[in-house]
Amino acid sequence: MTSALDAQLLAAHASQDTTALVNLYSEAADGAQDDTARGFYLTHAYVFALEINHPAKDVIHATLCALGREQ
Amino acid sequence: MTHSDLSKVRQPIETANGLPNAHYTDDARFEEEKQSVLFSTWAGLAVSADVPEAGDAVPHTFLGMPLLLIRDKDGAVRVFYNTCRHRGMILVDAPRKIEGAIRCPYHSWCYSTKGRLVTTPHVGGPGQNTHDAIDRDTLGLIEVRSHIWRDVVFINVSGNAPDFEVVHADLLKRWSEVEKPVFHGGQDSTFTLSVKSNWKLPVENYCESYHLPWVHPGLNSYSRLEDHYNIAEAGQYSGQGTLVYRQLTGEQGEVFPDFDGLSSQWDEGAEYIAVYPNVLLGAQRDHAFAIILEPIDTENTVEHIHLYYAVPDTSAPLRAKNTVLWKEVFEEDVFVVEGMQRGRHAAGFDGGRFSPAMDGPTHCFHDWVATQIDTFTIKAAE
Repeated sequence: MTSALDAQLLAAHASQDTTALVNLYSEAADGAQDDTARGFYLTHAYVFALEINHPAKDVIHATLCALGREQ
Repeated sequence: MTHSDLSKVRQPIETANGLPNAHYTDDARFEEEKQSVLFSTWAGLAVSADVPEAGDAVPHTFLGMPLLLIRDKDGAVRVFYNTCRHRGMILVDAPRKIEGAIRCPYHSWCYSTKGRLVTTPHVGGPGQNTHDAIDRDTLGLIEVRSHIWRDVVFINVSGNAPDFEVVHADLLKRWSEVEKPVFHGGQDSTFTLSVKSNWKLPVENYCESYHLPWVHPGLNSYSRLEDHYNIAEAGQYSGQGTLVYRQLTGEQGEVFPDFDGLSSQWDEGAEYIAVYPNVLLGAQRDHAFAIILEPIDTENTVEHIHLYYAVPDTSAPLRAKNTVLWKEVFEEDVFVVEGMQRGRHAAGFDGGRFSPAMDGPTHCFHDWVATQIDTFTIKAAE
């Protein structure tokens, strides 16, 4: 994860901007170097997407399932 | 702890005494009644108007138990333990709208508004959200049995009471004519009163009309003692009725619309019934009310009062006037329940004697409480 993205994530957590958290964790997953890191970030994106009923939740869920990380 | 000898309470009213002092002043008795009287029956928790829209969630602490009142995404009102199935964390700590899932603030286990466990992040290690040992189908939120009647959310914490419709079959039949949709008057039609009193004393005071001419002289100017009748169904419910209910009128003589289809009995008739253990209801031609008694501890209770109307849109000034009227009436009762509470610290007080003519509804409640405690104690010993 780039330091800029890391800073954006911290700011989103601080302001409880859940939509931003979904987007930023998804972006972090896209840039992950391996499946473990990708699964980690996608999990966070999924949790926050579930929390606010974000339209991306089903796609993220499907991706996690394809990675063998969700049911 | 041995339980009180309640045989004197369960005698006929002519010879009975009221419940012993300890049932109003002793924390051990409060705990006993929590289990035997309040958790084992259908107790009032809240009103469904508190969660008007899908996703609305309100945390409650009922007798020390954290509960979550929520309207699920399909509109059904449910009550859950407000406790995550993982580490027992409180899930929702303030009223709010659940947009999607209920996310535990500790490790982010997520639940649907119907209580289903939706995801368990990192439960199998970083980025791995499943584990063979974690069966989501068996780890949903624990739901408390609930039933809504006249907008009151009744709960049976023990989970083993007969169905609400069975327990209250006679009352439902009695009030079948006033079984109409009720519309909460909104923010201007609810208020609370905190009283320094055991939870039972407001029930006892509400049940009987004996005190009306002394405590509510304003009411007595048109609603005299002889215009009231006792309601006492042994083992079920009690209260009072009036034969001279008079509608509230506004500045221009306007009144609230009536509930549809009522017989002439309700033209000037109204009934006020205690639904044991802790809900007090009023039924009248043009409005209704519900009082939920929240037992805080042995000697403190909060009364939650809600006013309802026959139609969704009523005159705001008239509603406000009605709220003021009822608040004055219920505030007039505060010194009585608090005085009776203080009176029960006189060690030699024997529970008191009842007027066979006037105190039937109160004795009915005492007898019911005593029966609940005795029955629970016998079952627990088996």
